[in-house]
Amino acid sequence: MSDLPMAANSGQAPGGPADTATADTGLAVDLTAAPEAAEADVPPELLAQSLGGYVRAWWQRIRGGDSGVLPVVMAIVVVAISFEITNSKFLSPQNLVNLFEQSTVYMVLAMAEIFALLLGEIDLSVGLVMVLGSVVVAELVQPSGPNWPWWAAIIAALLACSAVGAIQGILVARLKMPSFIVTLGGLLILEGVGIIVLGGTLVGIGNSRFTNEVVLYDIFWGQLGPVASWILLAVIIAAAGTGTWLRDVRRRRHGLDAPPRSLTAMKIVLMAVAGVAVVVICNVNRAHFGTIEGVPYIIVIVLVVLAAWTVLLQRTRFGRYVYAIGGNPEAARRAGVSLPSVRTWGFILAAMTSGIAGVLFASWQVSLTTNIIKTASSYVLLAVAAAVIGGTSLFGGRGKTIHGVLGGLVIGGIYNGLYLIGVSSQWIDVVVAAVLLAAAIIDVISRRGAPRQT
Amino acid sequence: MTADSAGTPTETPEGAADYKDLTASVDLTATPVAADVPPEIIAQSFGQYLRAWWSSIRGGNSGVLTVVLAMVLVAIVFEIITPEHAFLRPSNLVYIFGLSTVYMVLAVAETAVLLLGEIDLSVGAVAMIGGVIAFKLVQQPGPGWPWWLALLAALVCCGVIGALQGLLTARLKIPSFVVTLAGFLLFSGILVVILGGADGTVSVSSTAPNQRVIYDMVQGLIVPAVSWAGLAAVVLVAGATLWLRAAARRRHGLTAPPVSLTVIRILLVALVGVAVVLICTMNRGTPLVTVEGVPWVIPIVLVVLGVWTVGLQRTRFGRYIYAIGGNPEAARRAGVSLTAVRTWAFALCGATAGLGGILLGSFFFGEYSTNTADPGQLVLYAVAAAVIGGVSLFGGRGKALHGVLGGLLIGGIAYGVSLLNLGELATPLEYIVPGGVLIGAVLVDVLSRRGSGSVNRV
Repeated sequence: MSDLPMAANSGQAPGGPADTATADTGLAVDLTAAPEAAEADVPPELLAQSLGGYVRAWWQRIRGGDSGVLPVVMAIVVVAISFEITNSKFLSPQNLVNLFEQSTVYMVLAMAEIFALLLGEIDLSVGLVMVLGSVVVAELVQPSGPNWPWWAAIIAALLACSAVGAIQGILVARLKMPSFIVTLGGLLILEGVGIIVLGGTLVGIGNSRFTNEVVLYDIFWGQLGPVASWILLAVIIAAAGTGTWLRDVRRRRHGLDAPPRSLTAMKIVLMAVAGVAVVVICNVNRAHFGTIEGVPYIIVIVLVVLAAWTVLLQRTRFGRYVYAIGGNPEAARRAGVSLPSVRTWGFILAAMTSGIAGVLFASWQVSLTTNIIKTASSYVLLAVAAAVIGGTSLFGGRGKTIHGVLGGLVIGGIYNGLYLIGVSSQWIDVVVAAVLLAAAIIDVISRRGAPRQT
Repeated sequence: MTADSAGTPTETPEGAADYKDLTASVDLTATPVAADVPPEIIAQSFGQYLRAWWSSIRGGNSGVLTVVLAMVLVAIVFEIITPEHAFLRPSNLVYIFGLSTVYMVLAVAETAVLLLGEIDLSVGAVAMIGGVIAFKLVQQPGPGWPWWLALLAALVCCGVIGALQGLLTARLKIPSFVVTLAGFLLFSGILVVILGGADGTVSVSSTAPNQRVIYDMVQGLIVPAVSWAGLAAVVLVAGATLWLRAAARRRHGLTAPPVSLTVIRILLVALVGVAVVLICTMNRGTPLVTVEGVPWVIPIVLVVLGVWTVGLQRTRFGRYIYAIGGNPEAARRAGVSLTAVRTWAFALCGATAGLGGILLGSFFFGEYSTNTADPGQLVLYAVAAAVIGGVSLFGGRGKALHGVLGGLLIGGIAYGVSLLNLGELATPLEYIVPGGVLIGAVLVDVLSRRGSGSVNRV
């Protein structure tokens, strides 16, 4: 693979083989001469040269069954409107921050699960790997115990989780054991290991006398000050805006296909508007007494994880290999991709991301008990549900990291909204189930119209 | 996959028909036939049977042997390491069977769906819904239905739930993993609702005549004399069936096992039966309070096993399930209605799971609450039991018996660990050991298959 396919990936669902086809047709064939032939293979956005053309191409792709994030965004809008009607507190700044906080663990776990799903595998152990990470991090900072500094504890937790992922990945990739079984066994084993590492019945990080515990506590419950929030937003928008703009300029200079300037500008403006909205909402005082205002750290953390994994999956060779294996393992193998090592790394990354979720989880729960560990096996189902609701395929090769974040937001929103209107937890499960089913049905029906069928 | 499907239905009429066609045209001594026909079918003497069996084991098709060996190993190890060597006491063995019942029945239910190459993640929740429905319907005051009507209603409800999930999978082609994952969440929620909230309970009494039947399904015992009479009847019927079937096959010139093998099979059935009844009829109470007799749950599990074995091995429906699991496209082109078979399989899986849920409640002394079991854990154990027993996750390979043996193994391990007085380690090991066994079982399966070259699982 040259640089061309990577560059062609700017906004579309990546399909390894299609990308190379793009490059070939784009170079060899006169585009105006045979529009039908070209359009059959090349995603229409690549041919579109004006903003109007882009919008039309986008619409055409949705009608063709490749709806991307549209269904989940619509689901978020529907959830928001219906809960706002039943309880006007739902869209209040206080609750929106709260909702995001409740969704973070699902979001990060779904991002972890997406590594496995993209490969066409499944990882049932993410929930318990998360628990392992949270227990390790909480145990290591105990002043009465190891008393490690917080950063060393976090690194150790992520390493421990990655090691679990490596073992599972090797069993799946090298010994060709089905990932469903390996990670189901992993789930059971880790449930026991988690209880052993926990030792007693309870470990907490809520003691404000110890700096290490305070830092861990603040990961979930702390926030930037309002001024710092604005500064951070400005830096992010400046960096992301320049990056986007310069990339498109460079593409144009090298004669590659690139979106029109108007679209680039619009993307940057949209990003800025969304960022400003988030900061404005977060900077409202949301405390009953005193002041709690500013952007919570976890929003930044989720964005960093999202950005890192998006770049990894969309812009690196490793990411292209992941999609290639998910799309067609045999084709990838014949193209020279080492299936075992990419698969193993996929499982390691999934486990490491679950470890990040674990650190957040420890901070969120403040104290961990055996009971929490025993109920953690349901988290994996919610993580899979979040990924699928977000638009990731269960059959590999289709999906993006952002789907996990959006799907997690839907699930968190449902939990939060139903809780606000006083619905008991069993009905929340029922609603999540209905949403998951709806997402799957939409996926199946939308794909039915599409020409490429698996 | 073709080599695979030829391996499983060795006894189905299709296999035999293939063989007949071949013999009609090809001389048997010409070797190439052996490549396609399972050696057991060609074997004519007892010795040849043994050799054929051994070669099929070496070929990676070990059938129930692995799980039986694992059970023997588990029994020996726990007998040695448990305090006072208590593991193999009759009282413990009977208790293990009761404890394993729900895993066995759920694993059999799951097997039906796994054979299709699908998965049902909702069996745990559906089972508990079935149990709660049956328990609720016999309440007095309350609906006060007769026990058999309540059982029937619960099984029908669970069957309908299964059929709905099957329809979504089969008609709309939504992956069963997603459908039943949603079903798991949905029915876990509904379970709490019909229980009447997170701390709702429902129980059946051990004294009221109508409710007592449900209470006794796991807890009740058959008196020793009746136990022996029942055993005699079972062995007689099973023996006669085995014998007459082999005789009929011989008469019609079909391939049949040698007479010696039929006799050995009948003797084995009798031997196992006598051992079970002997263990169960020993007094496992105190000298003052006698507790003896075969628990009702053993014949109940045998009936479930028998019905599913006949359904899968001897009916058209069962052959269609194997055909779809082996190669759906080939089955479709052969005229099998994929939608109907899949929907029915999910429906029957649901109904079987419902029975498992009723037995679960009976095992917990007729009491149902949200703490009785975790539906998510039940389904994981059910899948684990089926796979440990030897059912393939990829469809087309496995039998109902595998589910029963796998469930018994998991229950035995769980109980053995709890006997060890490990203090703080007891709870974690309850999770770690089954997980390790699951991975170990599949690892053995994968490694043994590697030598055979017959199947590659991707």
